[in-house]
Amino acid sequence: MTVPVAASPRRGVAAALPWAGTVLRVGLGVVWVVAGALKLPDPAAAERAVRAYQLAPEALVPLLAFGLPVLEIAVGLLLLAGVFVRPAAVVSALLLAGFTAAVASAWARGLSIDCGCFGGGGEVDADSTAYLSEIVRDVALLAASVFLVVRPRTRLALLDRAVPLRGGPDA
Amino acid sequence: MPDRTPTRGRQAARERIAAKRAAEQEAERLRRRRRTQLVTGVAVAAAVVVAVLVAVLVQSARTDTGDAVAPANTAAGTAETGFARGSADAPVVVDVYEDYLCPACRAFEEAAGDTLDQLVADGEVVVRHRPVAILDRLSDDEYSTRAAGAAAVVADAAGVDAFATFSGLLFAQQPAEGGPGLTDDELIALAAQAGATGDDVEAGIRDRRFGDWVAEATDRASRDGLTGTPWILVDGDPLASPTVQALTAAVEAARG
Repeated sequence: MTVPVAASPRRGVAAALPWAGTVLRVGLGVVWVVAGALKLPDPAAAERAVRAYQLAPEALVPLLAFGLPVLEIAVGLLLLAGVFVRPAAVVSALLLAGFTAAVASAWARGLSIDCGCFGGGGEVDADSTAYLSEIVRDVALLAASVFLVVRPRTRLALLDRAVPLRGGPDA
Repeated sequence: MPDRTPTRGRQAARERIAAKRAAEQEAERLRRRRRTQLVTGVAVAAAVVVAVLVAVLVQSARTDTGDAVAPANTAAGTAETGFARGSADAPVVVDVYEDYLCPACRAFEEAAGDTLDQLVADGEVVVRHRPVAILDRLSDDEYSTRAAGAAAVVADAAGVDAFATFSGLLFAQQPAEGGPGLTDDELIALAAQAGATGDDVEAGIRDRRFGDWVAEATDRASRDGLTGTPWILVDGDPLASPTVQALTAAVEAARG
């Protein structure tokens, strides 16, 4: 064996990273597709969920309530397919940063609303808000998105395939 | 061994040309790939934009209730979305937005219903009841919409007093969230109990005659600031919490 002992764990990490990326990519993709799809059947409720944040002017409510779910599904499908992963992950990160800020602002203003992240939304009892867990979840998804922005090439991708490891110093 | 000496120069030149050509081909291949990627990327982005626009149009059409037919006996100043009890000259206006599936609304009715009745009887307030449907997703059979629509049918056919009686019956027999609501037959029986009978009432409840009106009323309430129910406004100011104390205090304050 001529492989240096010290290189071995590093090679292990290098081999595992694209697979880790695959797990994050597919997980994130499923979350986006589900989150978007759940907001489509009841458009009036989607509008109410947007209005509950008391952030967007009325003229923007339909675009946010009806357009965002489609964007979410599109990002999810690109991630699942492994096509244009970096741009999709950038959009994913921007969306999540925006959602996190909106939820944090609702919390800070003392509103009692459900984030409407997966459909539903609107006012809830003051003691059944879940701002902290919603923010933690969004930040975790944001971290996954950033990982994919940095390393968009993963395994089992249609287009953005990781280059397979082939011995040698470049591995 | 063949003697290559005389051809060495030509051979080297040929190799140089071949290498150059290969490099050019590689560059061309990269250029083409980048071009394809750019074109595909623009196409995907354009498809997403189109899909978003189509969704906005389709969903706007789905939520459009412009041709909703309003029931009779609605109160002035409610854009045909509320039913008023009490004298129009009463000094204080109380708007009560409720969803018939909402447990907190039932609790408010149980706690504050008598107080409101008394205030109405004394001529202190006019109460405008404004049914909305925001909890259909917690119902197996769109009970919020069906119940509010049935209440509109009762008001339409038999007036505001019958509506008030019917509302009380609906809250008293409120189904639990997350399951089936009262059936159309049960709604029709309660409507009869409240004083609204006949084939027209029955058909109005079964055919959800005022379903679009309920959607329109709910949308209007949402645009006016409703984010949950019960939403109680005293002379336009929302109560912080739907309690009897908050209600009477706000009415006192509004009366001056």
